[in-house]
Amino acid sequence: MALTRRQLGAGAAAGAAFGIVRNARAASEKVAIGILPLVSHAPTIIAAARGYFAAQGLDAKLVTFQAAEPMAVGIASGDIDFGVTAITGGLVSLADKGAVKIIGGSLAEKKGVDGQKVVASNAAYAKGLTDIAGLRGKSYAVTTAGSSFEYVAYKAAQKAGFPASDITYRPLQTIPACIAAVKTGQVDAWDMLPSIIAILLHDKAAHVIAAVQDFIPDYQVTTVFTSTRNIDKRAEVVKRFLAGFSRGIDDYDAALVAKTMAPKEVDAIVAEIHKYVFAGMPLAKARPHITNGVMHVNKGAALNVASVADQLAWLNANKLVPAGSTMKKLVDTSFVKTF
Amino acid sequence: MRLLADRVGHRYGTTEVLRDIGIAIGGGEIVCIVGPSGCGKSTLLRMLGGLEQASEGRVLLEGEPPAGSLNPITYIFQDFALLPWRTVEGNIRLVLEDHKLGATAMRAIVDDVLERTRLKDFRAALPRQLSGGMKQRVAIARALAVRPAVMLMDEPLSALDAQTRELLMDDLVELWTRERFSACYVTHNLAEAVRLGHRVHVLSRRPGRIRETVEIDMPLAERAERAAELEAMQRHIWLVMREEARAADRELADAG
Amino acid sequence: MPDEASGPAPARAVAVREVPFRGGGFRPRTNSYVSWAVFAGLILLWEAGSRLGLISPIALPAPSQVLGALVDLARTGMLWKNLSVSLMRLGTGWVLGSILGIAVGLAIGLFTIARAALMQLTSALFAVPKIALLPLFIVWFGIGESSKIATILFGTFFPAVIATYSGVDNVDRNLIRMGQSFGLSWGSIVRKIILPGALPAILSGLRISSAIAIVLLVAAEMIGAQYGIGAYILQAGSLFAIDQLIAGVTILAVLGLLISWVIARAERRFLDWRS
Repeated sequence: MALTRRQLGAGAAAGAAFGIVRNARAASEKVAIGILPLVSHAPTIIAAARGYFAAQGLDAKLVTFQAAEPMAVGIASGDIDFGVTAITGGLVSLADKGAVKIIGGSLAEKKGVDGQKVVASNAAYAKGLTDIAGLRGKSYAVTTAGSSFEYVAYKAAQKAGFPASDITYRPLQTIPACIAAVKTGQVDAWDMLPSIIAILLHDKAAHVIAAVQDFIPDYQVTTVFTSTRNIDKRAEVVKRFLAGFSRGIDDYDAALVAKTMAPKEVDAIVAEIHKYVFAGMPLAKARPHITNGVMHVNKGAALNVASVADQLAWLNANKLVPAGSTMKKLVDTSFVKTF
Repeated sequence: MRLLADRVGHRYGTTEVLRDIGIAIGGGEIVCIVGPSGCGKSTLLRMLGGLEQASEGRVLLEGEPPAGSLNPITYIFQDFALLPWRTVEGNIRLVLEDHKLGATAMRAIVDDVLERTRLKDFRAALPRQLSGGMKQRVAIARALAVRPAVMLMDEPLSALDAQTRELLMDDLVELWTRERFSACYVTHNLAEAVRLGHRVHVLSRRPGRIRETVEIDMPLAERAERAAELEAMQRHIWLVMREEARAADRELADAG
Repeated sequence: MPDEASGPAPARAVAVREVPFRGGGFRPRTNSYVSWAVFAGLILLWEAGSRLGLISPIALPAPSQVLGALVDLARTGMLWKNLSVSLMRLGTGWVLGSILGIAVGLAIGLFTIARAALMQLTSALFAVPKIALLPLFIVWFGIGESSKIATILFGTFFPAVIATYSGVDNVDRNLIRMGQSFGLSWGSIVRKIILPGALPAILSGLRISSAIAIVLLVAAEMIGAQYGIGAYILQAGSLFAIDQLIAGVTILAVLGLLISWVIARAERRFLDWRS
């Protein structure tokens, strides 16, 4: 008996020691954050560069991905802790399996700020595709079925008052393939972030026929998400990540959207972003690509739940996600302001 | 028709392999060429067959080929050169197909040569199913099918074991007795040369020249029984060749 | 000495033992019962692992779920719709690529000019990843069937070229010399000696290129394909519907097995002359 008690005592002491170690380590908790080399991921880059995560006691490591899908899978598998991506069938499917959850909002359409555009190829434009009503019976470039491109086309059809099935979708998998198809007139229309649309317009390879914010107001384009394991076991870390991330958003907004920041400070921020985005170009050449066509990011990573619900309803209606995928499984609204 | 080598010489780059060769093949005789390794005997045969061009001298045809000869100068190869994907019959047909003979004529020729070489039962066999001796019989049947005026035989028995070689030599003697074909027979085996040759040219080591010509005036059919006389003749040729062979052997070792 | 007549017998006084057998082994044979049993056993283990929660549904779907996805495909008629367009693309691309490849390979094997002009070029282009050229393929061939067929055609063309010319190079020169010595025409030598002689190499080239064709099917159907097994797999991947993903991959694997079986039959039929 006595022996057992002594053993128990030793166990408790060891537990206490572990507790101390864990608290000490919590001061600098390691987190891996997935980003894509796009300007829309600048808030994360800025927060990491300016030490906003470190200030929250997070030892943040940025991991660059080339596509959103592997990033989502990386979060589900636990290799990555946080990521920012569009609401796709893949993300919802992972959420339905209980692996990931949306915890905040990022990129969004906002009146008065540059946003996504729908473009027509030169050939289609010449034949009269000049507004979204003209999309009826035309072909539309998408990356994959269930991607945000298809959602945008669906909303355009809804706004113009014709069934979305009257549009022919052409899955082309990658953004470069979509660009090539638009440039050569093999698809009639496509939608994209303003920075890439600017390049197409510069090459006189397409015409803008509509702004996405005109028919999907306050569209929540990308969201912040993490693994359910993090929410359950490291809720404190999630909160601290969002706090650091929010400071990154504030700087992003001041430097690139509202442009209230001092030019010198802006330069420093652009240089930081350039380490990840358009890194293959010299800074002077990359600068306009970084500073032009910057979209709005929700302050405090606030989440437009209504927009997310609308996108989920569309995915469900088109059977692009497991039957019965719900907002409850997809979104955890306890971390940020929602609207 | 006779096949003549007129002062033929040859060199590969700076190496002279043959010099001033003059021989004649025809008249239903078998001419054997023996010599040490590397003396250029196979090269000489390829020139006689038009498969290689001599750098000096000429190879000439004297007279017209006999009527009905489809391929006056016909080769028999050491490794038989049978198409492995064709049957015995198919291999014989191969050399007839380009001559537009008509189905019946072709069939008749194939039947005839299979009969003459006693291969009738093997008509549908593939080369891989045949022994070395049988393969060479097929090659001989194939050669006979084109009714050659001169056969060029490049060490035809060298790839065979000793017993098969004996059997095939008997076959060749029997065949010659019936057909009286003319041939140039290249070999390094002196026993074959004295069994089959009416005339034996002994070549020197490189560059190959004719060292000596031995006429063997004994009917081919009798030679199997008169082994002792042949033995003496073979001994004589060996004595002529021995020094050359020894020198050639050393030369090759040096070169290596 | 009656003993000697019956052959050598062991002497009685000396210890006698048999020479131990040291041969055998090193000749693995295939046993189809064992391979099926292992296959079935793995599937059962996998199913059990999934049911017991040892295998996370994110890592791998249960075999029964994959089967369910296959049944769904068959019931909705999409299996045949996807399969038929894919087979059309595979067949057209592979057949055209192989025919062109064999023709070019023959030219390289036979003509000095073709060899000088094309051999290095072929080796260089063979290494180019066709998938990297997809955006260009869209510009060159459009997003219709031609770009998909072209992707497979390009992928299968180069292995066919290389297999053919190395096959021609390896044809026994003595057989060619034999053909010449019998006065065979150039065409006869090519048709009756060189082509059959190169056939083993060409067929093994086709075996490789058929596998490449299946690999490239997914790449080919990245370009604007609404239907097709490759498109089905891509869509399943992007929706993270892994049961469908594995179902699609299973279809491709079965397709690969079928094609390899057909080629093995062709080899047995055309190359029975080999020992």
